Amino acid sequence: MNDNLILTNEQKSGPRYWRSLEHKADSPELRAFVEKEFPSGVDLIDDPVSRRNFMKIMSASFALAGLGVSGCRRPEHRILPFSKMPENYVHGSPQFFATAMPSRGSAIPLVAKSYDGRPVKVEGNAEFPGSNGGTDQYAQASILSLYDPDRGLNFKLAETEGKGDKKKKSLKVIAKAKVLEQLDGLANGTTHVLMEQSSSPSRARLVAGLKAKGVNFYEYEPIDFSVHAEAADIAFGPGVKPYYKLDEAKAILSLDCDFLGTEESAFQHIRDFADGRRVKDDHKENPAESMNRLYSVEGLLTLTGTNADHRLRIPTGSVIRVAALALAEALEGIGLDGAEDGISQLRAFAADLNTDFSKSHAVEGEAKADTAKWVRQCVEDLIRLAKRGDKTLVVAGYRQPKEVHLAAMAMNELLGNVGSTLLLQKANPSGNGTIADLKLRFNDGDNLVVLGGDPAYNAPADIEWAKLAEQAGRVIRQGYYIDQTAQGADAYIPAAHYLESWGDARTSDGTLVPVQPLIAPLFGGMTELEVLARIGGTESDPYKIVRKTFDGIAGSGDAKWEKFLHDGFLADSASAVESRGYDWDATRAAWEDGAKPVKVPGKGDYEVTFYRDHSMDDGRWCNNGWLLETPNPVTRIVWDNVLLMSYQTARELLGEEVAREELDFEELNKKSGGLPGRFGFKSDAGRFYQKVYKLEVNGKELEGPIWLLPGMADNVVGVALGYGRGLGRVGGVAGFNAYRARTSSGAHFAGGAKLTKKEPSATYEVACTQEQGIMDGRPVIREGNANDFVGHKDFVDHFDLDSTHHTTHIPKKGARYSWEKDQDEDLAASPYKKPFGGESNGPGKMDEERQQWGMVIDLGTCVGCDACVVACQSENNIPIVGKHQVAIGREMSWIRIDRYFSGDEHNPQVSYQGVACQHCEDAPCESVCPVNATVHDEEGLNLMAYNRCVGTRYCSNNCPYKVRRFNYYDYNRRPFGVEDGERKPGTFFNDDNDLNNSPLHPGNKSSNGEWELVRWYKDPSRGSVPGLDDGKKENGEFDPEWDLIKLSKNPDVTVRMRGVMEKCTYCVQRIQQGKIEQKVAARDTDNVKVPDGKIKTACEQVCPADAIAFGDISDKESEVYRLKRQNRNYSVLGFLDTRPRTTYLAKLRNPNVNMPDYYEIPNSVTEYNEKNHGNVFGGATPTHGEAKGHEKEAKH
Amino acid sequence: MSDVFPRWTNRLPGQIIFGLLLIGGVVTAGLNYYFTPKYTRVGFQPTQPVPFSHSIHVKQLGLDCRYCHDGVEKSWYSNVPAADTCMNCHSAVRADDPKLEPVRASYKDANKPVEWVQIHKLPDYVYFNHSVHVNRGVSCVECHGRIDEMDEVRHEKQFSMTFCLDCHRELMPKKYIVKMDEHGKPEKLDLIAKQYGLTASALAELNGVSITNSLEVGQKVNITSGDPNKRLRPLDKITDLAYERSKDPANKDRNFVKEWHVKTSENCSACHR
Repeated sequence: MNDNLILTNEQKSGPRYWRSLEHKADSPELRAFVEKEFPSGVDLIDDPVSRRNFMKIMSASFALAGLGVSGCRRPEHRILPFSKMPENYVHGSPQFFATAMPSRGSAIPLVAKSYDGRPVKVEGNAEFPGSNGGTDQYAQASILSLYDPDRGLNFKLAETEGKGDKKKKSLKVIAKAKVLEQLDGLANGTTHVLMEQSSSPSRARLVAGLKAKGVNFYEYEPIDFSVHAEAADIAFGPGVKPYYKLDEAKAILSLDCDFLGTEESAFQHIRDFADGRRVKDDHKENPAESMNRLYSVEGLLTLTGTNADHRLRIPTGSVIRVAALALAEALEGIGLDGAEDGISQLRAFAADLNTDFSKSHAVEGEAKADTAKWVRQCVEDLIRLAKRGDKTLVVAGYRQPKEVHLAAMAMNELLGNVGSTLLLQKANPSGNGTIADLKLRFNDGDNLVVLGGDPAYNAPADIEWAKLAEQAGRVIRQGYYIDQTAQGADAYIPAAHYLESWGDARTSDGTLVPVQPLIAPLFGGMTELEVLARIGGTESDPYKIVRKTFDGIAGSGDAKWEKFLHDGFLADSASAVESRGYDWDATRAAWEDGAKPVKVPGKGDYEVTFYRDHSMDDGRWCNNGWLLETPNPVTRIVWDNVLLMSYQTARELLGEEVAREELDFEELNKKSGGLPGRFGFKSDAGRFYQKVYKLEVNGKELEGPIWLLPGMADNVVGVALGYGRGLGRVGGVAGFNAYRARTSSGAHFAGGAKLTKKEPSATYEVACTQEQGIMDGRPVIREGNANDFVGHKDFVDHFDLDSTHHTTHIPKKGARYSWEKDQDEDLAASPYKKPFGGESNGPGKMDEERQQWGMVIDLGTCVGCDACVVACQSENNIPIVGKHQVAIGREMSWIRIDRYFSGDEHNPQVSYQGVACQHCEDAPCESVCPVNATVHDEEGLNLMAYNRCVGTRYCSNNCPYKVRRFNYYDYNRRPFGVEDGERKPGTFFNDDNDLNNSPLHPGNKSSNGEWELVRWYKDPSRGSVPGLDDGKKENGEFDPEWDLIKLSKNPDVTVRMRGVMEKCTYCVQRIQQGKIEQKVAARDTDNVKVPDGKIKTACEQVCPADAIAFGDISDKESEVYRLKRQNRNYSVLGFLDTRPRTTYLAKLRNPNVNMPDYYEIPNSVTEYNEKNHGNVFGGATPTHGEAKGHEKEAKH
Repeated sequence: MSDVFPRWTNRLPGQIIFGLLLIGGVVTAGLNYYFTPKYTRVGFQPTQPVPFSHSIHVKQLGLDCRYCHDGVEKSWYSNVPAADTCMNCHSAVRADDPKLEPVRASYKDANKPVEWVQIHKLPDYVYFNHSVHVNRGVSCVECHGRIDEMDEVRHEKQFSMTFCLDCHRELMPKKYIVKMDEHGKPEKLDLIAKQYGLTASALAELNGVSITNSLEVGQKVNITSGDPNKRLRPLDKITDLAYERSKDPANKDRNFVKEWHVKTSENCSACHR
């Protein structure tokens, strides 16, 4: 109930930039008002009524009010209604607007939810053709960046201080108009504009206009996906780009292409991949036939690799050799005329893979890996499918040179995939130069305009940006932060967030989408469209720019425009699909020209692979706490980047002796009878203090903690980009900057690297959310092979105590849950009282007249992308707690993804599982709460009443799933990066600083000597923001942190305070809203049942793989009802008889029998069988019998 | 050794205990009275910036509540009207009345809203929803009282948690498990009825049995604490605050709970998220 219309007197003069909905209605008088109310910061300095003064006055009147007539009454609140009611506005009900988040050459179509003119949540636009409403983690977190207090808040100009050598430029706040004067007279040939890539047709139009006037344009992306299009242009002729349709591919070969994780538009690929992999109904279909199969070749361990059925670990630079061999096999297998010569050349290029990579895939015991056979069998499988008429797909990743992409294209051509799984779309190259061109063409004294990006931070080391900027006559910078580029600039223009200003973009398939603002720029920022228009002296109202472009594309007319804004896309505007012949000669020429054999890395001669980070992207989310605190899906590390290496590499680096001490393998291996231990470094009471190493590469030096990631290629060091940007109170000290060692030639990987221990030796604490990396024989995730499934349909029931073989007191599966009503008598044996249903329904029965909520998570399609984690954080007001708190196990995420390794330490199998509150029907947490703070409701939800909670934490102790989170500190009320009243980036909640002061804490420096209790009394709604809360910074700039924190919250969900327990609620606010909507529509009828699919939890909504289903388990027509009756359905720790409402569908892997690394049963099941004397799939030495016979029949 | 303490001190322990009990009692009683919504809220009647009379507008002129509070059926929040709603009439009627000056000022200048004093306010952790109540037969009068008869609006009801739960519980069908009496026989129907303030015949009718029927130990009997229907009314009478269902022959005997499938929740999730 966050009603912004109801403001106390104090609040009214508090946040100065508050925007009501009226501001969004774009009327001229409001425009004028906005201009007046939010000048570029100058006025704020002279404002006589500071918050501090106001507080003094208020505290006096507060005291008087307390003694006055009102006695013990609450403080008086005022209701301030509108002057004129905005059209279609109803206070309290959210509004939804279609918009899009631009990203490099693409965009994610979104629907943004707005409360009273402030966006609080974004979701994928499900109306967009082919979309399921899923997005990636970046889009979910982008809303927090809108409310980032470290954004550029003011227009600034540089002033020079000092004389001679001591001359120093520093930026000073100046009125907007003054700064914009700097843009005058730039429309000529001496101006060089460096931008990020963009798909915006409006920008292309403005750029074309300026190019005519001679202005030079360049584009730079530190992580650049354009190699895909470059290769397509060679293979199929210029003017096309590839578009992958994974859903139709029966088998996919990925050549270092992390399409599920760090490639462009990964969320779309996850959706398509999941569609091709999903077992829709395991009663009817044979998964061995219906599931797709994924082969992956890579040097790092990525999401794609961990989700692959077969994985080959090859150093990133050597993937080209595998690509050569694969192409040779394909040419031979398909039989292309006149290719003999090429085949032998390719084979010669691939050389002897078996010798060089003897541990590239999982093998039994001491045997050597047969890489050549792996590639041959993989390609044979593709050819077999192609001959059968099925579609396959070969993809290469952005890190790979274009030769690898050409090999992939050639294989797709041979396999007949072009036009089905690989579409060639018409492309319009921007024609802008690269950053290298900029360096080449830049003359002394030319003007430099930098729009977006941060080249001073992320330009290749050989560009030497600092020198370039010094040469410039004038450097004008438009950017989101006062970053390194801005600090060297003469003028700074704050950039607007995409939710603040008009724009347009094209999605990956070329469909035109609007970038529609939901709020006027909070700090008056400008988009690049406005800056470009100002330079050109043309119309600079972004709305008019975008409208004009739209009219040019779709034709004029308000109806079209309104439909465009309403739908969030322009129908049928996708790029045309072309059909082109394959240019073998060009491919061959390019190969012979460009393909260079790469040295195989060895001990002491490492290969470094730079990669796009799952949280920071290329560094653009550097100050986004949600992303910083989202664990990397594979390493589970938060807040840092590290030097990743394989088990073998780590052991060799550390030396046998040290390795035995520091790694968690040796001892545990002995104990567990050959099975590996925790797969990583030993922790010190759950905390990881890692040795710091120096990494020399490309002639530069980096320093960082080492981290073991089993499954990486040996002698490869993985380094995430995007950290160490060094700005912001949240991300200021996160990680190290790997760009310093990145050059144009070694942009993605570089050989010849050296690792030396830092002298004197140092350790660095790394926060990792998952200490235990293995299941240790516990069937938490249950897996099977697709080709075994038909013979063992009930395999999930043969695990654990809930297996029929182990227990008698728990009835067989048919009645394990209360929603299976036929055997209620057995359920009465449970020691717990059934909390729902009450007396009227008998023990264990549901209240049949109400809807009963439940969830099913399909482990077969979940790829572990973490989008649900960020969506949950956004929806449920989950605070970030900082690295220190995560390191001691106090992260607050309501849903977490668990990642488990199984198998050997060189080539482990990986499984993911999302775990949130399971909403047990017999919830162990409820029976131990002394104050009834956690109880059940009639619809099967396990509730938390925050007001009742006294913080005993008994519930958390008794929760077998460890999903409850406790507010140890006032995470929501205290900001980061402040200690003793001073800004100290990277100061987290811990026991040593004053962020954890209780209201009874005596005053210290940060509270200006006042007692916390006094501060709280004066303004309970403000929180205890230490020190800097009076609306001013020392240097005279307005600091909006506290007000921005409040703006970013979802008003539908309580903001929890210190000392209470919290956990997943199944998004109870969405359930209630769904029910209320239904009842309001029902009015005086009895149509009150919410239809299936209407209520979606935040995690379900965002899941690009549609792996989560939520609904009414008592409704026979619902999807969850159907899924709960699948053979693969099981509950985690079912033997505890907690009867969770969230159940899982077992994961199926789809390995190829002919591959050298074929596994009869998944490693985790082997582990289970060995440790528990189990015989799932026939025990440790499986005999497949029928199942295998069936598989063979089916195949041939 | 004698008379170290004077004689009157013999009574002192008793006096102290009595005194403490008295003080404790007074404090407890005081807290119970002065610190509950019954005292702190009921009767709250602040002076508003514009002396708007609901009585004149509703009772004399016959305006519907929803003419001004138009969000009540669509949102959790029942809005206070914007100045332009007032000016629909008051640009012609009493256009120069000095009492209406704040409204006219607000209409002219968006920065000068009329500062109404909020009377009904629930705590932030309560997610009350107007729309779901007024669209399902609960009238404004149930919580706000006879606003149509007030000149200045007054806080009429407690708005405590019990206040909400009383209704929510009433609408929940309750079951009673028949116990054994002191003779080892099942309890009699009329005794059960008496416990819940019902007549034996009403209880028998509720359960579809005859009064003379003997019950069994452990048998479940439907009981309700009052008429679950008494809070509900036909939707066209929602804003008719004077409406009395017992005097409306067409709707007197209708069972809205059953007809509309009304299901309230008395669990935390109903109001707290």
